[in-house]
Amino acid sequence: MTYAVILAFQSLIREKWINLLSVLTIASGLLIISLALFTVYNIDAATKNLPERFSMILYLDNDIQKEKVDAAVGLLKKNNAVLSVRYIPKEEALKELKATLKNSSYVFEGLDENPLPDAIEVKLKKDAVGQETVRKFAGEVMKIPGVKEVDYAEKFLSTLNYLRVGMKTIGLILIASLGAGIVFVCYSTVKILFYRRDEEIETFKLLGATKAFIRTPFLVEGALIGTSGGVVSLLGIFAFYYIVLLRLSVSMPIFKAILFPTDLFLVLPFVGTFLGVTGAAIALGRLKY
Amino acid sequence: MTWANDGNNPMIHFSGVTKDYDNLTALRDITFSVEKGEMLFVTGPSGSGKTTLLKLIYFAEKPDGGTISVAGWETGLLKESSIPFLRRNIGIVFQDFRLLQNKNVFENVAMALRIRGISEKEIKTKVYETLKAVNLRHKADVFPRRLSGGEQQRVVISRAIVAEPTVLLADEPTGNLDPDTAEGVMRTFKEINAKGTTVLIATHNRELFRNSGRRVIKLDMGNLVAEERAQ
Ligand SMILES: Nc1ncnc2c1ncn2[C@@H]1O[C@H](COP(=O)(O)OP(=O)(O)O)[C@@H](O)[C@H]1O
Ligand SMILES: [Mg+2]
Repeated sequence: MTYAVILAFQSLIREKWINLLSVLTIASGLLIISLALFTVYNIDAATKNLPERFSMILYLDNDIQKEKVDAAVGLLKKNNAVLSVRYIPKEEALKELKATLKNSSYVFEGLDENPLPDAIEVKLKKDAVGQETVRKFAGEVMKIPGVKEVDYAEKFLSTLNYLRVGMKTIGLILIASLGAGIVFVCYSTVKILFYRRDEEIETFKLLGATKAFIRTPFLVEGALIGTSGGVVSLLGIFAFYYIVLLRLSVSMPIFKAILFPTDLFLVLPFVGTFLGVTGAAIALGRLKY
Repeated sequence: MTWANDGNNPMIHFSGVTKDYDNLTALRDITFSVEKGEMLFVTGPSGSGKTTLLKLIYFAEKPDGGTISVAGWETGLLKESSIPFLRRNIGIVFQDFRLLQNKNVFENVAMALRIRGISEKEIKTKVYETLKAVNLRHKADVFPRRLSGGEQQRVVISRAIVAEPTVLLADEPTGNLDPDTAEGVMRTFKEINAKGTTVLIATHNRELFRNSGRRVIKLDMGNLVAEERAQ
């Protein structure tokens, strides 16, 4: 076993150009994976609190009685998906509207009757904010006596949905395909190294070497190449963060909001090891000797 | 599998062995035995099948007919995974040397022990001891291409005998050597044989066994044409 490690290191040095090329290829792949993860992670973090801002407005019948409003509010509060319920009488709605349009108060000139209906504002719990659940909820709400109309931001929901699901899917596809690419790079490298040492391996066999003795150095080498690629990509992502992002955030404060998941990236070398050994094992499994 | 050759069975036995390469028959219906502790020569002109015969013994080639048993292991019954362990009983002096060019003399000889998983300490002792026996102790750190033909030949012999095999096979071991060096190499083989190792030497050079009193097998175009004792 220890001799296998020595042989692996000797081969690493002897075939330094092939190996360096593989390490850099793997490092680039892992770096792109890291950047994808980084983006997904940040989008996820940024959109996590967005649902709190989502609200639905229930417009009520004109001249609705107080008891009917109370009944509707009570019914809504009992619903599991509901976070908060606020009754907005039309006078208050008008006041709020006037406050918002303070500078254009001429709009309200000559208005002797309040044109706004009474309304109820409903905020939903975070996990209830989704396209399907909201649509279903809106349907249920319409059945409540006194509710005339339901209004909410569909666009908001579909965008949120797109961001969270879409970006995650793209991220996962990217990660999976690059991961497979890295395995393939290790596979090809080990195969090339194996053929380049054909003579030597034949001699080992004639001296009485077992398959395990011949294979182990290649597995070790695959692991070393993969790990090195992982370490290089780790250095790359840290460099990206400290040199690019931190500099940018000095001039553009929006970059300050970006989160850097250090723990997530520290596993990169191990991911490299795993992918390297996998590639080497596939290569050795397919070789006939 | 255990060491089965503990009776009076021959160390090597060929029974009606045939070997074909594509459309050429390299060996035809060969039957002979090598006794335990014997030193035997296989001779014949170039292309007569000597190397093929040795390759069959160390299972680098499979026979197309007949059976071969080596130290109790039999072709046909032998599992692919057992071949390494069979080969560990055989030391081979290859016609083309098969030295590892990127490893020095010490490492080349040590390789025969490394593949057996022997400890570093024992490897050191044995390799230096063997190199001393062939008068190459002072070249331990040199790489093969810096050695003369005779020195390379002695490295190959060291690697073949360092693990103390039961059988030693040598293919044209004096091929490119001057008569004095050749005589030295032959002396080494005699010493190894005197210690109990079965030795089989393939050579087209009749000088090597003249007056030796050893058994000689003659091949010609793949046929065994004579089996006699060298006078
Ligand atoms: N791998 C091979 N493929 C095809 N023909 C071969 C191969 N090895 C040897 N031969 C042929 O088999 C015959 C015997 O070769 P070989 O055993 O090397 O003879 P020797 O060692 O006596 O010179 C020769 O005609 C040679 O050309
Ligand atoms: Mg030959």
